[in-house]
Amino acid sequence: MAKTPVSWTEYRILEAMARAGVRGGPIGEVASRIGVPESTLHSVSKLLEEKGLARVRVEEEDRLELTERGREALRDGLPEEKLVKLLEERGGEASIGEVRERLGGEAGIAIGQARRQGLIKVEGGRVRLTGSKPRLRQALEAVAQGGNPGDALGELLSRGLARRVRVRREVLELAGEPSSLLDTVEVEASRLTHDMLASGEWRRYRFRPYNVVAEPPRVLPARIHFLTSFIEMLRDLMKEMGFTEARGPIVELELFNFDLLFQAQDHPAREIHDTLWIEAPPTGLDGYEDLVERTRKAHEEGWGYRWSPKIAARLVLRSQTTSVSARLLASQPSPPIRFFTLGRVYRSDVVDATHLPEFHQLDGIEGYNGYTFRDLLGTLREIFERLGLQVKFKPAYFPFTEPSVEGYVRLPSGRWLELFGAGLFRPEVLYMAGVDYPVGAWGFGVERLAAAFYGVSDIRLLYTKDTTYIRSFPVRVV
Amino acid sequence: MPVVKFKPDRLLNALGVGSVEEAGEVLFRLKCEVEENPEGLVEVEVNPDRPDMYMLEGIARAARGILRLESGWTMPRVRDSGITLRVGDAPSRPYIAAAVVYNYRLDEDTLEELIQFQEKLHDTIGRRRRKVAIGIHDLAKLPQGEVEYRSLGLDTRMKPLGLEVDVEASWVMENTEQGVKYGGISLEGGRHPFLLAGGQVIAMPPVINSNITRLEPGTRDLFIDVTGTDAKTVAKVLDVIVSTLSYREGVEIGLVRLEGAPWKAAPLLSTSEYSLDPEDVNRVLGTSLSPDEVAMHLSYMRHHAEATGDTVRVIVPPFRADILRTVDLAEDVAISIGYEDLGPRLPHFTTRGSLLGETRLSRRLRELLVGLGFTEVLQLTLTSPRLASMAGGGIRVSNPVQEEYSVLRPSLIPGLIAVARANLHRDKPVKVFEIGLVARSMEGRVMDELMLGLMVMDYEASYEDLQAPLYSILRLLGVDFSVEPVDHVLLMPGRAARIMAGGEVLGLLGEVRPEVLEEAGVDYPLVVAEMSVDRLARLATG
Repeated sequence: MAKTPVSWTEYRILEAMARAGVRGGPIGEVASRIGVPESTLHSVSKLLEEKGLARVRVEEEDRLELTERGREALRDGLPEEKLVKLLEERGGEASIGEVRERLGGEAGIAIGQARRQGLIKVEGGRVRLTGSKPRLRQALEAVAQGGNPGDALGELLSRGLARRVRVRREVLELAGEPSSLLDTVEVEASRLTHDMLASGEWRRYRFRPYNVVAEPPRVLPARIHFLTSFIEMLRDLMKEMGFTEARGPIVELELFNFDLLFQAQDHPAREIHDTLWIEAPPTGLDGYEDLVERTRKAHEEGWGYRWSPKIAARLVLRSQTTSVSARLLASQPSPPIRFFTLGRVYRSDVVDATHLPEFHQLDGIEGYNGYTFRDLLGTLREIFERLGLQVKFKPAYFPFTEPSVEGYVRLPSGRWLELFGAGLFRPEVLYMAGVDYPVGAWGFGVERLAAAFYGVSDIRLLYTKDTTYIRSFPVRVV
Repeated sequence: MPVVKFKPDRLLNALGVGSVEEAGEVLFRLKCEVEENPEGLVEVEVNPDRPDMYMLEGIARAARGILRLESGWTMPRVRDSGITLRVGDAPSRPYIAAAVVYNYRLDEDTLEELIQFQEKLHDTIGRRRRKVAIGIHDLAKLPQGEVEYRSLGLDTRMKPLGLEVDVEASWVMENTEQGVKYGGISLEGGRHPFLLAGGQVIAMPPVINSNITRLEPGTRDLFIDVTGTDAKTVAKVLDVIVSTLSYREGVEIGLVRLEGAPWKAAPLLSTSEYSLDPEDVNRVLGTSLSPDEVAMHLSYMRHHAEATGDTVRVIVPPFRADILRTVDLAEDVAISIGYEDLGPRLPHFTTRGSLLGETRLSRRLRELLVGLGFTEVLQLTLTSPRLASMAGGGIRVSNPVQEEYSVLRPSLIPGLIAVARANLHRDKPVKVFEIGLVARSMEGRVMDELMLGLMVMDYEASYEDLQAPLYSILRLLGVDFSVEPVDHVLLMPGRAARIMAGGEVLGLLGEVRPEVLEEAGVDYPLVVAEMSVDRLARLATG
């Protein structure tokens, strides 16, 4: 049988009644017996009745209650009592004058009542005490306590000390013995709590169903930045493909940023509008003597100008992470090699929706004796196919690679995004670095791809300061 | 990259294709991107290694090879122009070469294209006229008499292009657009190079030509001068121009005799010859082409190429400025085949990949910090002088584009205070971290270092709010560290500490001074910390 849901308070009342062995009675009486405020029991009784667990009956009865005068007499004494007290103080008698003076307006009624009850005698202007027990005290007390005044009732009424009133009272009557009734109910609760579980009381509870389809309050998790997620995905991809991660300085010698990449010192890319120099004293090319000598030779023979080590020693904010690849090559690693680097590069661009003064670039190099252009194209295709992107190759020109290729990837929108530059390092570059096996190289900007990947139209949003934007950024599961 | 514009019908006719899309596909294979612009012109973005393709004839010649409509190359017809150019003293711009192009026959379209060709050459290989500049004249208007190139004073008089009256060169320098822009390039000791014919100035290279020899629709023959600071490039540019213009039917080249120049006559129309081993091509590309196949592809790339036994004899035409060695020919073969048709393949060697210690550590730090309720922010390493100065100033960019991004940040903390400022109205606490580079000068060298920055902003934020997470992380990483009180310009006295590990400073932790917060416009307390990920990586990675 389905149990009747009750509230916690209702349950507590039933439990208290069971403990006290009370099945019912006037609410006021029951309340005082089980130790709850009458008002509480009153409202709970109504609720129990609604659930069919109790009946609340209204009884009407005539009752005596003290009038104002009666309550005064109970508190200060009846007039005749005051008289007896006075006479006792006076040694058993006093003159009428004195009685009048002390009892004021009550003197007459006091003398009359006392004489009728045989408490005094009045003779020759004097009042003398002959008894000491006024009759109505007990009756007054009985009425005050809701009891029966007995024979004195008529007198109380006629003297205006008490009156009859009609009262209503509610009587609670449970539908059964409280202890057995407890087994037919269960408590409704909104939350399951530690206390319920610890005490085992959870069994007595019925857990109120929620509106499970209602909208909850919005919460946002702490998050790893979405651009980081993308960058780390690229790093994992490169590692999976057998590439070793490397890192190089962001403030770089022109030697590695340009010269080793066979960019002539008057190459337009090295002009003021394209490169950011830094205010720091040049540190010289110490330690790179052989490299410098080979670089001079390659430039002077290849481009036909006088190569300046001073220019090569200037410090720039690297404009491409190929500077790291150049450093790696110059360390003359033994083949086969696979390296990648992912880091920031800097450009002379004014910030707008598609430009930042700095962004991340991923550069990779790979080489061994027998490495070919087809291998490079294959690796590039593999990288982007692993990212789910179709690749299109376009012949291109870079000063440091030959053959050179530019790569386009097809975005989910169908648009082809010009993304990467690649090629086999020119023999001049390999000569400068001192490497004697073919090396393929490529690089691409991470932010452009990330923006396309996430559908972010304004690249500045990748560097927002708004934590809510980051925390509420949609997750791409890849 | 240089972009050249053509009327669509002229481009399509020259290529022999039916649509701009088709032209685009062919030219894509020649490193170009093609787009129609709102004015109805076709824009072709050309790679700077092919200056011959700044001109319609050059584009057509290359494309018709790819389209297999034509192949190879033949030397243009050359005859003596009868002109002698005497090269005098012009120390600021010592080299000049000149040539005549007969029967080019300008109309309005070709005149425009020719000027575009000239401008693109100026901007790229000419290094904005510094290295090389070109003057093109109407041969018929060239004053009779001796042609001479030398430096003269600025009182030399000429009729600059567009002007009918004689003015002094100094006036040209100050009052013409070209004079203002290029007047300083070859001016040396108050003297400037001039080109004269019959005693009259016909050009003031690299600034401006004279109005006397002005080109116009109807001009039939061209006299072309190229001046510059590098002899090789001067000769090359002239070669590229004449050998490209001569692709047009009926055009002949006129030789100009030179006196006092490194060459006896111009143009040189110099070619380079290779005896190419096809294996050198195969080794670069990963192909197995026969000598005949290599020769065929190079012919389609408009070289003169023929297989002779095991080798291929190649004559690289004078309009190619980009063939320095065998590998450049290999690229041409790849382009003729098409990169897609080359057959990309995966290299067949294996290597084990790995990530840097700081990369691996950063990943663990991010996991731990997100678990502790911190959200990652990313910011630029270039910052404003104001923010950098909060942390004692950073390394300045000497030619910044925007003041806002003119200093390399020396610390992550000012940026995190800026993040706090941007999140004042978000639910508290705001807890963020950043892992990024900072740069500092150390013993005269610029060093960058990967740092972890943390920030907590709350109604009541205190030292412990970051101390507890930091201790937790360091202990989980097994780092043996100690902490000592520190004075710091950004941090409240008595509420700042330095974290030490392995005998060096690992980082910093503390509550931001209220005066700093007030200055930054942040009216909530902040606790910040910064730690070196690089140093931590050395301590905590295996």
